Amino acid sequence: MGRFLARVAVAVIALGLAVWSPVTAQTARLSLPDVPNPRVIEASDVGRFGGTFVTTSISDPRTFNPIVAQETSSSTPLAYLFESLVETNRFTGEIEPNLAESWTVSQDGRTWRFKLRRGVQWYDGRPVTADDLIFTLDAAFTEGVQSSLPDVWTVAGKKIGYRKIDDLTVEFRTDQPFGPFLRSVGGLQPVPKHRLESTLRRGAADFNRSWGINTNPRELVGNGPFVMHAYVPGQRILYTRNAKYWKVDKRGQRLPYLARIVIEIVPNVETARLKFHARDIDMYAARPREYAELLRRQQAENFTIFDGPPTFGTEFLIFNQNPAGVRPPKLTWFQNVKFRQAVAHGIDRDAIVRQVYAGRATPAWGPVSPANRFFFNPNVRKYPYDLARAETLLREAGFTRGADGALRDAAGNVVEFVIATNSGNTDREAIGNLIRQDLAKLGMRVTFAPEAFNTLVGKLTGTFNWEAIVLGLTGGLEPHNGQNVWRSNGSLHMWWPRQERPATDWEAEIDRLFDQAATTIDQNKRRQLYNRWQEIVAEQVPVIYTATQLTQPAFRNTLANFSAAPLAFYDLETLYYRTPYR
Amino acid sequence: MLRHVLRRLLSLIPMLFGITLISFLIIQLSPGDYLAEMRLNPIVSPQTLEQMRANFGLDQPLHIQYLRWLWNALRLDFGYSFAFQVPVMWLISSRLFNTLLLNVVALAVAWAIAVPLGIHAARRQYSWSDNTLSFAAYFSISTPVFFSGLFLMYWAYKTGWLPIGGMTSIEYEFLPWWGRVLDVARHMVIPVLVLGVFSVAGLMRQMRANLLEVLRQDYVRTARSKGLAESVVINRHAVRNAINPLITIFGFELGGLLGGSAILEITMSWPGLGKLIADAVLQKDLYVVMASLVIGSVTLVAGNLIADILLAYSDPRIRYD
Amino acid sequence: MAQQVIRPGAVPRATARGLEPSQIRTPAQLAWRQLRRHRMALAGGAVLVVLYTLVIFAEFIAPYSLDYSDRARFYHPPVVPQFWDARGVSLRPFVHATTLTDPGLRRYSVDDTRRYYVRFFTRGEPYRLFGLIPSTVHLFGVDEPGRIFLMGTDQSGRDQFSRILYGSRISMSIGILAAGITIPIGMLYGGIAGYYGGRIDNVMMRIAEMMIAFPGFYLLLTLSAVLPTNVACTTRFYLITFILAFLGWAGFSRLIRGMVLSLKEREYVLAARAAGLDDLRVIMRHVLPNTASLVIVVATLGIPGAILGESSLSFFGFGVREPCSSWGNLLVAASNLPTLILSPWLLFPGVFIIAAVVAFNLFGDGLRDALDPRLRTG
Repeated sequence: MGRFLARVAVAVIALGLAVWSPVTAQTARLSLPDVPNPRVIEASDVGRFGGTFVTTSISDPRTFNPIVAQETSSSTPLAYLFESLVETNRFTGEIEPNLAESWTVSQDGRTWRFKLRRGVQWYDGRPVTADDLIFTLDAAFTEGVQSSLPDVWTVAGKKIGYRKIDDLTVEFRTDQPFGPFLRSVGGLQPVPKHRLESTLRRGAADFNRSWGINTNPRELVGNGPFVMHAYVPGQRILYTRNAKYWKVDKRGQRLPYLARIVIEIVPNVETARLKFHARDIDMYAARPREYAELLRRQQAENFTIFDGPPTFGTEFLIFNQNPAGVRPPKLTWFQNVKFRQAVAHGIDRDAIVRQVYAGRATPAWGPVSPANRFFFNPNVRKYPYDLARAETLLREAGFTRGADGALRDAAGNVVEFVIATNSGNTDREAIGNLIRQDLAKLGMRVTFAPEAFNTLVGKLTGTFNWEAIVLGLTGGLEPHNGQNVWRSNGSLHMWWPRQERPATDWEAEIDRLFDQAATTIDQNKRRQLYNRWQEIVAEQVPVIYTATQLTQPAFRNTLANFSAAPLAFYDLETLYYRTPYR
Repeated sequence: MLRHVLRRLLSLIPMLFGITLISFLIIQLSPGDYLAEMRLNPIVSPQTLEQMRANFGLDQPLHIQYLRWLWNALRLDFGYSFAFQVPVMWLISSRLFNTLLLNVVALAVAWAIAVPLGIHAARRQYSWSDNTLSFAAYFSISTPVFFSGLFLMYWAYKTGWLPIGGMTSIEYEFLPWWGRVLDVARHMVIPVLVLGVFSVAGLMRQMRANLLEVLRQDYVRTARSKGLAESVVINRHAVRNAINPLITIFGFELGGLLGGSAILEITMSWPGLGKLIADAVLQKDLYVVMASLVIGSVTLVAGNLIADILLAYSDPRIRYD
Repeated sequence: MAQQVIRPGAVPRATARGLEPSQIRTPAQLAWRQLRRHRMALAGGAVLVVLYTLVIFAEFIAPYSLDYSDRARFYHPPVVPQFWDARGVSLRPFVHATTLTDPGLRRYSVDDTRRYYVRFFTRGEPYRLFGLIPSTVHLFGVDEPGRIFLMGTDQSGRDQFSRILYGSRISMSIGILAAGITIPIGMLYGGIAGYYGGRIDNVMMRIAEMMIAFPGFYLLLTLSAVLPTNVACTTRFYLITFILAFLGWAGFSRLIRGMVLSLKEREYVLAARAAGLDDLRVIMRHVLPNTASLVIVVATLGIPGAILGESSLSFFGFGVREPCSSWGNLLVAASNLPTLILSPWLLFPGVFIIAAVVAFNLFGDGLRDALDPRLRTG
């Protein structure tokens, strides 16, 4: 494990923010017969070839078409087949060249040119060219194609412009400078035009169904490290090594190291864990409560469990401030910032961390996870568990406690409300229960009512008929991708979605900050803007954050080039077996 | 009898119409829709969501949606799954065999064990073997499938004798045919045990109680007093009469062959239909749910029909016309 | 309707056999006599009495309330009152206090320097007995900071014994409730269908099949969305059980109908019909009583069926909701490896389920024998 960490440190030398200009020289120029300038993976150890890596997925993929894929159960299996223009370094979060070997941005920050790596081939031997890139964009923007990619590729309501310059160069143009350009547009994974063009011509409906899970996997032509060999519904996906891959290790050996990859579909976490113990699978993403126990067993069973980084997701309590959903007096309480602050002070986050996550979490105070080294602002207002402070805030807001212990507002209404969450999520149910008990100490009469996920989302986004909800959202590096939550007109602006004009000054300010950050190219300036946003959220607490979980991946010791980096635990192409195995 | 069968099959048509119409309405009127998961993804815009709703035909009025579905279903086109974007029938047929295999074997095992044990228990009422069997039965009907499945998998891990979950090993495709059969058989031991034992308990109790009831009837006494051998009395006269309710249960079990093992399939990652249907129901993958309802109703009716025919066969007194 | 002539069974057997009036016993008395001889049935009955006592006096017997949680003592192993420790023997049972040392491995250290004696009829958290009588007296308890967790605590530090007691309310009644609804409806419906047969049977069974094929799950979803969220979780659950049972009689009616199809051709039924009894009376008096053995088995199997059915609903997240408890949802919460390995005491609800199932079945067996006139001796 010590060795592992040392390597991580070396890897972090990083390409820094310098990446924003074209990437300069790589140490020693390595090349392959067909790829003159292969991507060199510097950060990892030189490994040995061969072996099968077995991992798990909780559900079946839903499509093999990367343009239509919406969720991780589809996009993860596809990540082995398709590569993006640029890649985020899993240790540093920096952007690195990938399919695009370099890029330039114009002075005004509106025109971007990407140059594709020469010699990269699709599995069937055709070269990956600018035409494929243009086709992918055309397909995603086609009316009726079921893709969420255009949402990321739309700047201030206008889709980005793009054109082919030559066989290997594509130019993008935005109306305004677009701050998150590299992370959003750079994530573009081209698909082979020669394979999919005819289906797109037959219409969007056909395209949505092309490369479905009933496709013969051999027809899925990509350019990634592995080729899909077979998909057995409900059981597993099998991959074999792509012998034409365009990345090399430090010694110039063609990657990937592994001969085969298997994704076992295991819907039940308990089964996955037993399979890990039985050495059927090589990696297990342990739950927080299992950390201590697995730590005890790692020697005997020859695996390593890592003290991993926090997740990017958030868990929170939120009050409904939408007049279309709740009426006074409840609306008045929920819209009162002192009420929300009092609640924030009334929640014992340490108890949540200790009980629900067995210590494998940190109290959370804002919308950005500490895992996000770029944009996390640690200096925001915090709400430590403090009943006295909470009571003071409630008094200031006009609430009083009667002889019966019940909290009443200035008009004498007893403070009572319902906290919902999605049933079946035991962690959230436990958090909801803790919060209910905590708030009871402040004299609030809280009912805790878990509901079916569909019902809950229906209320949250459709009928607005809810009072308070304990929920979580997934997150990523780029705060701009959360604009649907944070802009006052966003459809996921949960406490009051789709406002015609911002209801409060602070919401107006957040709108302005998001606009500004979207059109700023300088990443340090963007960071300051998003810092301010986090301060406002922490001050106004429209969303009361509870805790951020830590990850604890467990890996067989027979594998190497694995580490608990913030963004991903391994790169497929460099994972290898120390010893011949399987 | 043939007329009866034909009439029963004909009655399937209005029944299916009724079931699908009511179910469709209930499903569509229950809150939330398939897009719930996507609605919580900050990246997905409301425009995209509307687009998808339109693609799925969910923006149409309910009666249009139903009629459209019905018209296609009459031509055996059950539409596309929202989640998987493949024809519902492909989805179902990709797992049909797995579920049938598991459930048919479990059913056969359960009946093969339960009926003799039930007969034995009834003949030796309150003997130690009857009491032991009874207690074993109580124990197994009190244990939920998700727990016994987990427990047996834990045991399989501790002993290393059996594979943990799933239906095949990773090496499956490289095995010769007999290796494949053996591989699946090894994977089936625990699921069959869990499903089988659970239903053995119930069936055995039923068989025992019915036979006890029959053995007290006058005609059994008569048969015995006539000096017939005990085995003849039991097998020729008593069991035949005692089996009546079991035949009805058999019909139900035939009807439940396809969707009845969802929890086990989820717990033990068995690639079956039950899990597919359970997921579709939870996510409101409308057309998968509708198709599974149709299939479920047809198998239910078929199972009941078979049970009725067997009933008439086992007891000549029963007539349907 | 023809005037009834013969009413078999109306004449008390005892007098018919010419016994003295003092020896005359009503059928109920006979049954009770029979039942008393049946030791296993009595044992089952005794367990049921104990369980239902626990149900009725749950608040009084439970040392802690449903909502009590000790945040410093989650996943605490059971604390069983002891009579001796390193310092010697005590006539009064006592416990030691504990403190958490390792939250990951759920380890506690025991402070054996002080004894906390178990007190009976002690004052504790206030409650309302039967939902009416306010009281603070609990059957037993210990002084702070001692804790009496007879069956350990769960992830939130809630006393499992108390939660099992509160959960028994739901688990011990849903089976009865479900059986109480499905059996009468199913018997009558199946009896009529089977007795008349032909077209009536055909139509009635097709309707029953539709009921069976009906997606109850969606009704549940729709209902839980329509019901106000702030009603007590038990009320909500009873309502849902009621409706599901209301949908669930159909399967049972098919079972009865199958038997009735055969029974109605028996001599005594034919005799009763020939004697001119009206149909309903024949069904009620002569046909259905002969299904008693089946009904008892179905009822005794149906009760664990309902308890487990509730746990299956909990498995999908639609059962009894937190913070309320039922044996089923407690067992679902415990069905994971960390619990199995580190906190096996959370499987105690399973013991209660088994006890209840065994008791119901033993009692049912005895009852069936007792009700059967052919088995009577003396």
